[in-house]
Amino acid sequence: MFFNSNKKNDSSIDGFSHLGEGSSFEGEIHCKGEIEVAGKVKGNISAKCLTILETGKVTGRVNAEKVEILGCMIGNTDSVNVHVGEKGVVRGDLRFELNLSVAEGADILGHVHKAKKDKNKKVDTEKVKYLEHNQAS
Amino acid sequence: MPSVILNHTILKGYLNEKDSVSIDGTFIGDIKAEEIIVNNLGNINGNLNASANIEVNGEVVGDLSADKIHLTSSAKVRGKLFHKNLVVDEGAQVEVVARTRNKISNLNKE
Repeated sequence: MFFNSNKKNDSSIDGFSHLGEGSSFEGEIHCKGEIEVAGKVKGNISAKCLTILETGKVTGRVNAEKVEILGCMIGNTDSVNVHVGEKGVVRGDLRFELNLSVAEGADILGHVHKAKKDKNKKVDTEKVKYLEHNQAS
Repeated sequence: MPSVILNHTILKGYLNEKDSVSIDGTFIGDIKAEEIIVNNLGNINGNLNASANIEVNGEVVGDLSADKIHLTSSAKVRGKLFHKNLVVDEGAQVEVVARTRNKISNLNKE
């Protein structure tokens, strides 16, 4: 239809959401794409890709597939890949599944650990192997 | 630097921005900014408070207050409007109470 001609396709996400330097947000964020934070955020964030820019400050829990911390992050981070930039400040735990990279100069205070999401499955397979081994002998 | 919130992003809470905000996603809560633009896919449930202007192309349920409010042809708005200038394009779906005020800035403090 004539009206819909300049509407964007619902399924496509181009680029990333951005919270500007002069912004402050309090509450929850759920993002299926990429999000960049240059302002202040208080609250939990779940996203596919999160970048906290140098001027950004996040206070809360973060759950994402990829997290880049170039600014300030206070709270626990749970992600597949984590990168902390040279001006990055982290106060809280970092839990990652695959990769962690930390640039020289980063300031981290908290637990850093590699953990798999499917913990139970892993335990189960090990148990099965153990049982199978016992039966064989 | 303006804020941009894209489609497939849901924000719940309160946003305060010194610059402009452009929204294509879902926002539940209040927004205060210099300029607020709700794009076609934008969906807002809350009050909008802008010091300069508000442009609505999407859906808004809540009160709007700004010097200039522009509801375009694809807008769907329900709530109260406080404004100096109001523009409503042909085709806009509105269910509103509109009030013209000389000074919007005083109203915002209430």
